[in-house]
Amino acid sequence: MRSATKNPLLKVVILGDGGVGKSCLMNRFVSNEFDEHSFHTIGVEFLNKDLEIDGQTYTLQIWDTAGQERFKTLRTPFYRGSDICMLTYAIDDKASFKNLEIWRTEFSYYADLKDNNAIPFIVVGNKSDVSSEHREVSMLEMETWCNENHITSCIETSAKNASNVQEAFRMAVQHWIRLESRADKNQTIVNDTVNLSKNQSDVKTSCCGGSGDETN
Amino acid sequence: MWNVIYSMVQRKERPEDFEDKRIAQVDNGFFEKFGSLFREQAEMAQTREQVEKEQVAEAAAQLVPKEDDDEEPETPPASVDSETSSSHSQIDENEFENDFIATAFNIDELYTEILYIILHNVGCDVNLEVPQNSLFSYAQDAFRVPHNKHLQLLDLAEKKEDPELIINVEVIEAKDLRPKDSNGNSDPFVTLYLASNTSHRYNTSVKPTTLNPVWEEHFALPITDKSIDDTLCLEVWDFDPAETVKEKLGKLFDVKGVKGMRKLVKEIAVTAATGQHDNELIGRAKIPLNTIPASGMTMWYTLDKKNKITRQGVLKVRICFSSGKNNQVAAQEHRHIRRIILVHELDVSKPAAYWWCENFGPEANQLLTQHIAQSGLSPTEVALCSYSVYAGIHQSHPLSFCIFSKLLEKLLKPLQTEMILEEDMKLFWEATRKLLPSCFAVIRRIRKKNANEKTVMKQVIEVLKIFNYVMALEPTNIDLFPQNLYPWITFHGDDPNCDIAGTLQDAISKGAGDWLNYLIENNKATAETALARLQNLIQLLQLVRSDLQKAIEFYDKLFIEHVNFQYAKSLYIFYQAKISTLCEPEVRQICKNLKTLDYSGYDFGNGPVNTDPTVDPLAEGTSLFDLYLTIQRFVTSGQDICPSDYNGFHIKNFHQWFHAGVAQWLDIAVYKALQRIEKAIELDQLVHIDTSVKYSSSAVDTLTIFYQVNTFWQQLNWPNVESCYTFIAKIIDDICRCCIFYAEKMASKVDGMGDIENIYEKKFEVTNEWCLAINNIDYVRETLEPFTNGLGMEEILKKILELKSPVDAQRCRDTLNMVISNAIDTVRNAIIELLQTVVQKMAPSMKRLLIEGAELCNQDNNSIDRLMSYVDRNLETMHRELNKENFNRTLEIVWDMLSQTLDEIIQTNLENRRPPSFFANLQKTLKLMLGAYKDPTDCTSCDSLKRTEQILRINGLETSDLIHEVHLELAKKFDELPESPYGEISFRCKFDGDVLQVEVINARDLAAMDSSGASDSFVRIHLLPEHKFSSIDKPKTKTHNKTLFPLYDETFTINLSPEQREIKDGLVLLSVKDKDMLGYNNQYIGEAFLRFKDIPITSESLSNLPQVKKWLGRPTSFEMDTIKALEHRLGDKQAKEFLKKFKQRLAS
Repeated sequence: MRSATKNPLLKVVILGDGGVGKSCLMNRFVSNEFDEHSFHTIGVEFLNKDLEIDGQTYTLQIWDTAGQERFKTLRTPFYRGSDICMLTYAIDDKASFKNLEIWRTEFSYYADLKDNNAIPFIVVGNKSDVSSEHREVSMLEMETWCNENHITSCIETSAKNASNVQEAFRMAVQHWIRLESRADKNQTIVNDTVNLSKNQSDVKTSCCGGSGDETN
Repeated sequence: MWNVIYSMVQRKERPEDFEDKRIAQVDNGFFEKFGSLFREQAEMAQTREQVEKEQVAEAAAQLVPKEDDDEEPETPPASVDSETSSSHSQIDENEFENDFIATAFNIDELYTEILYIILHNVGCDVNLEVPQNSLFSYAQDAFRVPHNKHLQLLDLAEKKEDPELIINVEVIEAKDLRPKDSNGNSDPFVTLYLASNTSHRYNTSVKPTTLNPVWEEHFALPITDKSIDDTLCLEVWDFDPAETVKEKLGKLFDVKGVKGMRKLVKEIAVTAATGQHDNELIGRAKIPLNTIPASGMTMWYTLDKKNKITRQGVLKVRICFSSGKNNQVAAQEHRHIRRIILVHELDVSKPAAYWWCENFGPEANQLLTQHIAQSGLSPTEVALCSYSVYAGIHQSHPLSFCIFSKLLEKLLKPLQTEMILEEDMKLFWEATRKLLPSCFAVIRRIRKKNANEKTVMKQVIEVLKIFNYVMALEPTNIDLFPQNLYPWITFHGDDPNCDIAGTLQDAISKGAGDWLNYLIENNKATAETALARLQNLIQLLQLVRSDLQKAIEFYDKLFIEHVNFQYAKSLYIFYQAKISTLCEPEVRQICKNLKTLDYSGYDFGNGPVNTDPTVDPLAEGTSLFDLYLTIQRFVTSGQDICPSDYNGFHIKNFHQWFHAGVAQWLDIAVYKALQRIEKAIELDQLVHIDTSVKYSSSAVDTLTIFYQVNTFWQQLNWPNVESCYTFIAKIIDDICRCCIFYAEKMASKVDGMGDIENIYEKKFEVTNEWCLAINNIDYVRETLEPFTNGLGMEEILKKILELKSPVDAQRCRDTLNMVISNAIDTVRNAIIELLQTVVQKMAPSMKRLLIEGAELCNQDNNSIDRLMSYVDRNLETMHRELNKENFNRTLEIVWDMLSQTLDEIIQTNLENRRPPSFFANLQKTLKLMLGAYKDPTDCTSCDSLKRTEQILRINGLETSDLIHEVHLELAKKFDELPESPYGEISFRCKFDGDVLQVEVINARDLAAMDSSGASDSFVRIHLLPEHKFSSIDKPKTKTHNKTLFPLYDETFTINLSPEQREIKDGLVLLSVKDKDMLGYNNQYIGEAFLRFKDIPITSESLSNLPQVKKWLGRPTSFEMDTIKALEHRLGDKQAKEFLKKFKQRLAS
């Protein structure tokens, strides 16, 4: 149970094709466990994790979704209100990389994003532990795709040997903080609507104020 | 649990209803439309259903009458309507005309026959009814015969011979006959004869030993005397068989009673005397022929006997007239006459369609009766004639179906027993074939509203009776349903079709189909938008449902009772297929094209913004759900109507069509809930809804809203387990958002309340509103868990366990629990946040009052009072209004805030070099406050306050006391040393009265201070606090050179004053120093403290006491509160000097 503190809450959604290791990433991150033979996720899974960055503790509410097509209707309701979207593929599975575009579109549609830069996307290439002969997606390809899509954060991880997992989430939160502080600066148009948390509302209401181009 | 509480609250709080409605008005009763408020759930559902039904019925009524229009000539040839379709009626007319032409040849003959019949009317009733000339004129009209021809034909008729009349008598049965035999019974038989001809007798058979014989025997007696003055005599006799006396004696044993005995004796006597036997008359009935009506009669006659008054029994007889005519000819003649008369009757009285039910006028009646009587037609023959004629006429002028059902009832038995000629049989089936189309038309047009319900029902009943009779006759080899008349029949075998049940099935489907098509055609969506299409479908479904309802309520029973046909089921099967094909593609397409609700996150302050005005995702989603519920209700009713076929229905899996829409519904539900919460808060007056509870209306309203979301979920009743699990997670998450939203809205509502500003001060007072707000949020939080239970989580998890695996179920359970506890925590945080806000608002006032208190403590206690009363007032409000948990939380926060405030005050004032008295006063103030409010037993979470208090205390001390505080602290610290690099000292110590004796024994492992690796040590004894022992010398030992293990072995006796002896926290300080060569700058090696209270009080010699060993210690840093406090006393010489020395004592 989370302690009764006032940490900023960040809603993180992990998306990606079935089998790329979304649940493993989450479990590695939250409880530092890895189960090679884990099951398909049914619908969604949810875990909490506190993460400290620069002395501030953030509480991440992580929604791990099921990648299979038949679960589409089940996962899409969870997109709305997200603060961070983690697009995941497996580096030994080209198709899962190709599908990132679909995932991004799906997320933007159901999260009802006005501006793709309003929410930090982070691209995570999982299974970096596979041997190089099995690798199908190179770092360069990932970076190229990210550049094309104005996504600044990308990282290769391995839930199996715990490499870069913490870093991936940390990176995502840092990205969020960057967006947030920029939003603060741009907060000329103050919206008087009430939001889930003050921190979030800032991002959402003012992101359209411009300056989403820094990512280029 | 909370439902109960809530309903309790609701009951107490009636005005709530009012507000509730207003909240519902926000979205035009969004949830109410779907669900029913639990308060009167059942009741409301019923009413709603009723209303709905009425609405639908109304709508249907409006629609259906138009349907009648299509019976007019413009009927498209495709939908052939048997009785009105042009093609069909043509056939009818042709047939009818042919018939008529055939008759035309004989029309004169027929007319003559009628006139002849009129002339020779029979029966008792002739003169009572219609006079002969009326009959003549009626016949003339009916046959449309010109007058001259009439006279001519009348003349012809009069010249004809008188008819040969026969009287038919059927002796049916007798009852209650008087016993004539000794055994108490009789052996009755009947003898009948005409009075005019007694010799010509007819006998029935003998029915042995009975008093209630049944004969059912027919006799024809020719009437010779046309004046009909004759009398028919009926005599019932007891048959007496030829028996000998001996035989009769043998009957002795059968004798019953005294009377029987007497009879037997008499019989025996007669037999013995005469040698002959004789039948005995039981009774006699005489019937004058002029009492018999022309139509015949059936009657019970009383039997009497000469000289006997008592009744001899009763006899049932049927009597009618007939003639010797050929039956075939007579029947045909009768058919013609009946048709002509009927046509005439219809022409004259013009009854409405389906209205006429054999109610002939008196003339017509008499003519027909006379014809029957005079032609001697049997009832069966007459019925067959009528049936055939009516069926023919029915095609051009529909007659009441009850005529046919009655006739069929009469004909059933004769037809079944095949007492009918083949020719007549054919006639019957021809007629039936003519009749049936209109019957099926009734079934097909069962939804017609041109007559009142009762009439339709009656018609349906009669038609069903007709079907039942016809089915009982098992038609074979007759093409009852020619394809040109029944294009909608699905069965087309090679054999002639005579499958009534099958046709009925088809007729029902056809009728329902036509109706549905008509509705679809005439009820097209007003616009091509998804919304209009959805609403159209909903309306259609409601109409279908109401039709089904009617089928169940009214018709199903009838169909089952009369033809053993499951009408509703058959109808349902048809509808479910139709609806599936109608709805599925539409729904799937609409779901696919659903636009997301346009509100980002939960920021909907201005409502969804429609970018495209033609699309309203909210209304679309709502209508889609409405349709879902409507189909759901339809499908549910299917489980009852056809339990066996249900599983095969395509519509059973209707939810799959909607799969893509569920997410939208969840979104809408949240959106609506948020909207309502906002409204609820807006309407909240922030007053207790009841004296017994500590929250206000919006909390209850919000609860209602949650309940409505739950109701929505229950109604959704989604069958797929995996989906259910996920949706529940989503709903819980959403409800959590609602809670947070509520908390935030609540907080902003009370924000600004309690701020008081006048010319003297600006302060904040905790108001009831604040407390209510906090309680409200807490109340809403408390409902979270019960709410999640209400979602049926356990059931879902159980199903996952069954369907998947325990691991999966556990994972799902963990996730849900995590979501729930997360939600609860988040809301709890919101409450704490609000409490913090409250306390922060109180902070400035408290701070000011504290400072005032500290400044003015000694001069004026008023200030303290003001602080006290401020805190008192506010805490009192909170104590009264908040629940215990939140009050305690508040206290914690207050203390927390207080210690922070104090820290600030201390810091500032230290910097401002306030005198110790300032801090002492501050501490006093704090103590007073804490004493008043703090529960001393509950001090778990006020560590910071404790520390603050300690700092205050320290700073409040005079410098010398403060210095002593340093020593006390050091003493404590050194006592806890596990070992020391500076060495260890051994000594003995005692008090004897006011005398202190200290024996310094030795030191060991002293730290080496000299470059030689040794020390030149001595020990000086200080008594502390120093200022209290200023009168006393500080003795010291000799110096022991160049050793780390010096043996001092010196005893000091110090005389104290009684006051000095009584100093509670007095200390003995043994300070070990290294002698400087010059004696100028002795270096500290280490120190040991001994508290006065630890020194034994004894008069014994020191040498008997145990040695005390202590590690030598040195202060390690300036990081002590006391030292810091001293450091702040910059202008204080004493402090300055102490610090200087202290610095020397510091461990290097």
